[in-house]
Amino acid sequence: MSDIMDLKNDQTLMAISTGDMSWNKTGSWRYMRPLYENKIPPCTVGCPAHEKIPQYFALVKEKKYKEAWETILPDNPMPGVTGRVCYHPCENVCNRGEYDETIAIHNMERFVADQNLDNHIPEYLVSKEKREEKVAIIGSGPAGLSAAYQLVRQGFKVTVFESANEAGGMLRIGIPSYRLPREILDKEIDDIKRLGVEIRAGITIGKDLPLSNLQKNFDAVLIAVGAYKSWGMQIPGEELKGIRSGLDYLKQYNLQEQATTGKNVVVVGGGNTAIDTARSALRMGAEKVTIVYRRSRAEMPAVPEEIEDAKKEGVQFVFLANPIAFHGNGSVQEVELIKMELGEPDKSGRRRPNPVKGSEYRIEADQVLLAIGEVPDLEFTEGQFKLLHDRLNLDNGQMTSQKGIFACGDAANGPIGTVVDAIATGHRAATAIGQYLRNGKVALNGKMESGVPFDTINLDYFVNEPRPKEQQHHPETLKENFEEVNLGITIEDALNEANRCFSCGTCTYCDNCLIFCPDVAIHLDPVKHEYIIDYDYCKGCGVCVHECPRNAMAFEEELKWNK
Amino acid sequence: MEQIMNETMSKYFNPETTASIKVMEGTHAASQAVKLARVKVISAYPITPQTSIVEKLSELCASGEIDAEFIKVESEHSAMASVVGAESAGVRSFTATSSQGLALMHEILHWAAGARLPIVMVNVNRALAPAWNIWVEQTDSLAQRDTGWIQFYCESNQEVLDMVLQAYRLAEQVMLPVMINLDAFFLSHTSEPVALPKQELVDQFLPPYNPKYKMELEGGHAFGGLAMPDSYMELRYKMQKSMEEAERLIPIVAEEYDHIIGRHHGTFLENYRVADADYLLMTSGTISGTSRIVVDSYREKGIKLGMIKVRTFRPFPTKAIREAVKNAKKVGVIDRNISFGQSGIFFSEAKAALYNAEHRPLMNGYVAGLGGRDVTPETISEIVDHLIASEKGQDLIWIGVKK
Repeated sequence: MSDIMDLKNDQTLMAISTGDMSWNKTGSWRYMRPLYENKIPPCTVGCPAHEKIPQYFALVKEKKYKEAWETILPDNPMPGVTGRVCYHPCENVCNRGEYDETIAIHNMERFVADQNLDNHIPEYLVSKEKREEKVAIIGSGPAGLSAAYQLVRQGFKVTVFESANEAGGMLRIGIPSYRLPREILDKEIDDIKRLGVEIRAGITIGKDLPLSNLQKNFDAVLIAVGAYKSWGMQIPGEELKGIRSGLDYLKQYNLQEQATTGKNVVVVGGGNTAIDTARSALRMGAEKVTIVYRRSRAEMPAVPEEIEDAKKEGVQFVFLANPIAFHGNGSVQEVELIKMELGEPDKSGRRRPNPVKGSEYRIEADQVLLAIGEVPDLEFTEGQFKLLHDRLNLDNGQMTSQKGIFACGDAANGPIGTVVDAIATGHRAATAIGQYLRNGKVALNGKMESGVPFDTINLDYFVNEPRPKEQQHHPETLKENFEEVNLGITIEDALNEANRCFSCGTCTYCDNCLIFCPDVAIHLDPVKHEYIIDYDYCKGCGVCVHECPRNAMAFEEELKWNK
Repeated sequence: MEQIMNETMSKYFNPETTASIKVMEGTHAASQAVKLARVKVISAYPITPQTSIVEKLSELCASGEIDAEFIKVESEHSAMASVVGAESAGVRSFTATSSQGLALMHEILHWAAGARLPIVMVNVNRALAPAWNIWVEQTDSLAQRDTGWIQFYCESNQEVLDMVLQAYRLAEQVMLPVMINLDAFFLSHTSEPVALPKQELVDQFLPPYNPKYKMELEGGHAFGGLAMPDSYMELRYKMQKSMEEAERLIPIVAEEYDHIIGRHHGTFLENYRVADADYLLMTSGTISGTSRIVVDSYREKGIKLGMIKVRTFRPFPTKAIREAVKNAKKVGVIDRNISFGQSGIFFSEAKAALYNAEHRPLMNGYVAGLGGRDVTPETISEIVDHLIASEKGQDLIWIGVKK
């Protein structure tokens, strides 16, 4: 620089500091602060078991199917079961649904489980610490098995009592094998047993062994007996031959591989048991199967895909009709129906069906299977427990009105009626029992919430792509064909679906934040495997937050941090 | 003929200082100068007819013949911003553009000058759209008059090469950016013999650049901060002082270049047969070469015609022009540009320069050759005849407009 530039004073030529300004970091400009912060995605909240869905999807992307499976296992030891039979509430809340089509999460779960049929639950998921306390579990359905698994993982000694000759509860008794092949069920139960869960089958508590015996010999007892007692209709003619509970019918077939089936079968009800009963009756040789449901299709609690499949297979539906009497000479011959109309919504949010006066009519039937709901059979408790709506009443810690006796699944009040709810409440009960046995008191986590609404996803980074179609097997003649109907999705579809997932709130290490940062103030920590924001230089422009496709960045006022 | 050429060439292409003589386009002369200047950062966005400058530079960078970072950008605005960044870090940098591209750079042109960054840019003078036109006109660079950039206008490819080198020498002393202008196609895409000076001599002429203040990892400074009303004006004052310093240094730099490399293109003006001339043409760019022939032909007829070729537009050579016209009766300024609502731009600047002069000749402003229209010896003769016949000055005379 020429000397003449310095004029009279020592001022510089331009607006420039002559002194060292490196103490004045540009981070001091910031009034908003970006935070690298993974958030809980809606699917994980929607899943009663809170499976870490984007996390295992990320591993599927890398074709690490074993690791993906092991990511599901801490929350659910039976993804092969739930991947097939779950009503997938996760998909109902999937953000992708507001963009094109929801992610086929249940197909992905099944895919991951099916890739691991030769693997067993790894030992590292079980605590090395072994505890002396013993826990008795009554019932080896999904709730009991899930609880047993989680208790064994915590190091407790667990004995499961099962009144049937094989473990599985409703999974084995209620769900037909064309939906849940027995080798899948057996494999996943076997995996749980391998961890050290003792299952004592063929023992009915209250008959072979009193409940008090368990109370005496175990440090805690968990009641997971499910709900098997069918509600009757309390209408004339219910005692006629040929009328029975749909669940009994399924149980008979599933345990004895045969069940008396009529030619012209009427199934009453709109839940999954009704659908399972109807489709099983077709497979058992019924010529005509009709489901009678008092509300309309929209209110049916059964999984929509199952209803579709039932239709495909030839099940007939009569909506907005309810039986008021059964007629016949010894055996049922006719069902008398009354037409219904939908009124105001009831407690369940569904519109209440009201009978239409004078609309009675009759349809023929030689067998009627009732699938209008079940309650638990709690005779063995000899009335010692407080009940709510015919189920065991629980406190916030899954404990019954008797100290040290817990309950879960359909036997208790709480979320009921599905496999995944049973698995979830089993997990909660196991956590509660663990806390109870360790500390004498129970404090379970509150409700999980997601911080990733749809409008926080940056759609610029996604293109429309359809959801994969699952292959199905509907043979020409269903008779005696209990082969699995749903055949899952291909590897290509699974990889594509893993990529289609927004991965809401869950970093996929796409490097967008790092690439877009105009101050080069973000780097990836190779050890911690997380992005580090250098707040000395981050000016708080928020570009990283905006350009994160999946809202794995938060943006907060700096003031909040400088208090 | 051969002998004349050899004599002319050996004077022009000094064999002792020349590494090689190559036939090349004006654009490539610019590129070769960038190489000789040991530029470290190049950032440019291609635009006809500047493209071959960038093309050649990217090739030279790719082949390793130039040891420079070539920053690809999505616009001229970013290209100028990139070299502003590089120069702020104390690194010699280069960019080139033309027409719309220069217009897009406008905001950063102010920044480059205000931040006192000695950037050198080559601008190929091209008409502005619409209508689309890729041919020569000077309105693009003249419209950047008040940005604080030093501006040179060249007549030959050799001058382009030499002036890029002199531009760095000048810029880095006065800490102002320099724009070297050349005519679209008439220079940019016309091949001429160009002498490439020896690298060691260029190194001697142009020492490495090392500014006092630069962006560094250690001992950092704050750049381009806020200046309140009590200090901003002083910074503007210093820019003007630096322009005045440039006016002092331009002849010195030309002398130094001549001393080391052995070539001199004149300083602010190139005066051709001016001393005894009654009538003077004032030109710039390639029109000057044609005008020289016309001057000679009028001289043969006994008419005392001369020519002033203007080489610098900023700083404007007020003193040199006053000196050059002090004996002339009439001056005709040929402008290949126009400031709408006024006149040709060189004309209005020259006229303003002479207002306070002791001797004020009659002045006519001629606008010719816009958008690349040919300015032939016949065109210039028409101007000269008009000038000689004029009894009072006229600010705006359109030449060759079809009516």
